[in-house]
Amino acid sequence: MRRRKSLRQRLFSVIHAFVLALACLVVIVPLGYLIINSIKLPREFLTIPPTILPTEVTFEHYQELIDDKKTVRYFQNSLTVAVWTTGVTILTGTLAAYGLARARLSAKILALVTFTFLFIRFYPRVTTVIPFFLVMRQFDLLDTVWAIVIGQLGITIPFVTWLMLVVFQDLPSEIEEAAVVDGASVWQRFSRVVLPIVMPSVSAAAILTAFLSWNEFLIASSVARRKASVLSIAVASFVSDKGIQWGPMAAMSVVMIVPMIVFALFAQKYLIRGITFGAVKG
Amino acid sequence: MKKALLLLLIIALLPLGSALAQDMPHAGVEIVATYMQSGTYDVGAENIEDAFEAETGIELELVASPWAVLNQNHITDLTTGTGEFDVMSGEFWIASVYDRMLPLDDLVARDGFGGDYIPTIWQPGPSGYFDGKRIGIPYSADAYGIVYRTDIFEEAGLSADWETWDDYIATLDKLAMHLEGTDIAPSVFSWGAAEQTPSIFLGMYDGYLVDADGNYALDEASALAALEKMASLLAYNPEGAAGLSIDESNAVFLTGNSATMICWVSFMRASAQNPDASLVVDNWAVAPFPGPGFPFLSAWNLFISEYSENPEAAWEWVKYYINPEQSTQRFVELGVGSPYLSTYEDPDLMDAYSHDFPGMVHNLGRAQSVPWVFEAFEIFFRNTSELVIGSISAEEALANTLAGWSEVTVPPALVQSAAAQGQQQEM
Amino acid sequence: MPWLIAFVLPAFVIVVAVQFYPLAYSALLSVQEWSLTKSQAPEGFVGLENFVKELGDETFRRSVRNSVWITGGAVVLEMLLGVCLAYLTMGSSWRMRAVRTLLILPMVIAPVAAGTLWRILLNYRAGLVNHLLGLIGVQGPEWLASPDWAIVSVILLDTWQWTPFVLLVAGAAIASIPGDLLEVAAIDGASRWKTFAYIELPLLTPLLLLTLVFRMLESLLSLDSIYSLTFGGPGFSTYTMTFYIYTQGLRNFNFGAAAASSWIFMAFASVSIALVFWFQRKDW
Repeated sequence: MRRRKSLRQRLFSVIHAFVLALACLVVIVPLGYLIINSIKLPREFLTIPPTILPTEVTFEHYQELIDDKKTVRYFQNSLTVAVWTTGVTILTGTLAAYGLARARLSAKILALVTFTFLFIRFYPRVTTVIPFFLVMRQFDLLDTVWAIVIGQLGITIPFVTWLMLVVFQDLPSEIEEAAVVDGASVWQRFSRVVLPIVMPSVSAAAILTAFLSWNEFLIASSVARRKASVLSIAVASFVSDKGIQWGPMAAMSVVMIVPMIVFALFAQKYLIRGITFGAVKG
Repeated sequence: MKKALLLLLIIALLPLGSALAQDMPHAGVEIVATYMQSGTYDVGAENIEDAFEAETGIELELVASPWAVLNQNHITDLTTGTGEFDVMSGEFWIASVYDRMLPLDDLVARDGFGGDYIPTIWQPGPSGYFDGKRIGIPYSADAYGIVYRTDIFEEAGLSADWETWDDYIATLDKLAMHLEGTDIAPSVFSWGAAEQTPSIFLGMYDGYLVDADGNYALDEASALAALEKMASLLAYNPEGAAGLSIDESNAVFLTGNSATMICWVSFMRASAQNPDASLVVDNWAVAPFPGPGFPFLSAWNLFISEYSENPEAAWEWVKYYINPEQSTQRFVELGVGSPYLSTYEDPDLMDAYSHDFPGMVHNLGRAQSVPWVFEAFEIFFRNTSELVIGSISAEEALANTLAGWSEVTVPPALVQSAAAQGQQQEM
Repeated sequence: MPWLIAFVLPAFVIVVAVQFYPLAYSALLSVQEWSLTKSQAPEGFVGLENFVKELGDETFRRSVRNSVWITGGAVVLEMLLGVCLAYLTMGSSWRMRAVRTLLILPMVIAPVAAGTLWRILLNYRAGLVNHLLGLIGVQGPEWLASPDWAIVSVILLDTWQWTPFVLLVAGAAIASIPGDLLEVAAIDGASRWKTFAYIELPLLTPLLLLTLVFRMLESLLSLDSIYSLTFGGPGFSTYTMTFYIYTQGLRNFNFGAAAASSWIFMAFASVSIALVFWFQRKDW
């Protein structure tokens, strides 16, 4: 005979389901409204009460984006920036974190290096925009995606190094000891033994870096002019001094969000696993 | 044989080539021009980019950026002496770098430029001036106005011929009675876009903006009265109006929920006549902006950078973009207010815009720009906004503003602008 | 050892090369008099005058107070909600995986777009939020026009967008608590609440603190979302410290003042980072 659930357990599972449903709604409703806005006629934007189901569906806002040849360039630039920023960050950040974790540095030096990294990570970027502009001009990199990539690396490398440092510190050193006995070099130990184990964390760090880079606005807007402009600037450009172009902005936001949602869905298991492995100290 | 023929051909074509070069003295020169990314000024430039390049041989690069980014880019470029932009779009917000702009008086005189401007717009203030020399050429003109519902006014037996704000408020009182029991408010304004509130203040205020010594100042008695009157207008707005942005306020009017609206006309004109965006098509008109103050003027200028290596080619673009034909075309196609009288005197347009032009021309004729750098402007609009939401009193708003202004220096160019527009306290 | 140094070097070189000059320049500016409306070039060394002036400036102090309220409210909510949701979405069934995927989506929206989206949602009469509240008989507030509700609006936006971050990290942490520990506790007859309070929470604390400090600094630095949601208004109601630094630096071009206030912020950030170190050290 099956044991019946106690009243309390049943009550709990009902509440559980209710709270989760509510949380999902809080996420879905605004996102759904954004999509609806992108196919609404302008006159239905600020009606009282709000127009939840448009009387007439229009794709004019998307059509405008497709017709504008700049959209493709923004998209390519955003993609280039995200790929390079993520690639370089993961490569150097992971190596640096491993080096720091295994170098048997004195606690003070380790703390100093990590502190420097984090200090740079959190320094208000608005204050360094102009000197950064001057540096980029010096190297003739203004209005190139490389200037954006370089600027973002200053934020993302410290972030990834910090994240991966925690991961490597959690990794029991016994794992590597066998390899040391076999006479493997540091590089072999890292690439053959350690890296495969921490791969999920690396993926997680990569995903977070890509999100950050894809959405970054301030650095991009300060060094990009025309050729190197990116999607985050395009979204902001629908806010002019005399108001907001809601329809095109909603359409552009959807265009901008979709690749990241697909990416997030695709990578979700790595993300969860990565963070599980990385962030928790045993 | 073939070679000889080719040579002959080349020799034959040479004179033609040099003739072309004479017609195109700047052929092959590259210039960069900036615009605000707004779907209006920038699109107007893109539309004629190819024709300009074909006619002049100049390679033009257009750079459009959002408002805040645009100003930031200009100031960064000029203070660091980078010289990336030849032609720059701006208003008085960038007055702190006016000294890095090329004086244009000689070019204007040489080419006889600037004849048919609306006179107020061709003067210092709306036109960029530094040290008594012209540096900016205006290419747009929009004045704050009041739009009203012709059908409702007719029904109520009212007319929109107010001269002062007191007349306007008296009309609102009558509208309130007439509209009692409906969802329609007598008036609406974008109170939530705090940077807009000074526009009403400037219409109500009767006094100087810069004192005799060249510092930011206000005539306290008039300012206090204006602030209080401004705050009292909120009562005629729909519930929750204190949070309305420009678009939201426009939407209230366009969906038929207010009888009048205080607004930038160029930003609602196109939507108001578009059945996809508006429920008040053909049922609205522009009314005069009440006094004793002036309607706030927005007039974008083109400037040429002092660091430009090709100022003559840059000037070619300025002339190509700014002229009566182009301005009229931008008005018709993109709703951009024209700084030229001829646009408003075009018989066809006068007919098509009979609801719009009389009021607009009246307002543009009285409109003025302000001598405020962004910092001074922000100190003022944040405090008026606090007043509107009831956090502080009019006295406090005034005192806070004057205290904040005591730390802010007026750039010399804007002292001159104030003097030219009669906004400076007399000795 | 040389190998390990070589590992660290590329990252260190890039970060220092990219950031050293901007930071040094900003440090230099913080002790100089320079406002673009007054002069085209720095007007000389003024010692700590900028710092004294900023600390005494009413707008700066108000922006700090606003930041404390907004960040305090947002981070507390994010931590509570994030941890609760992490518990509620534990498990590897497809349903839970789907729910978790859905819940992290707000994090991938560009902050400027998120701000604009919420601006339209929170409109007093034409907004979806007040409409839905109206359906259940609640009269919604003037979200963006009342000083207090505007702060709540900014907190809501930050919470909506960043609770997923906490959910992810906390979820991962909870999942990695050894199951046998909890079983032992259950056999000993400990209640669910006691298991949480005495076994799980202490294990989670260091990581949660780390997340908290990270979220706190990120939230203090957020600019795009406030720019597009409230533009610091109404009045000065949501004028935060970062908004202040942005306005001083990139709108008013008071370079000295912007640099000095940035360094004041960094003094606070440094203390926070040092605290994390201290907790981590205890743990290692």
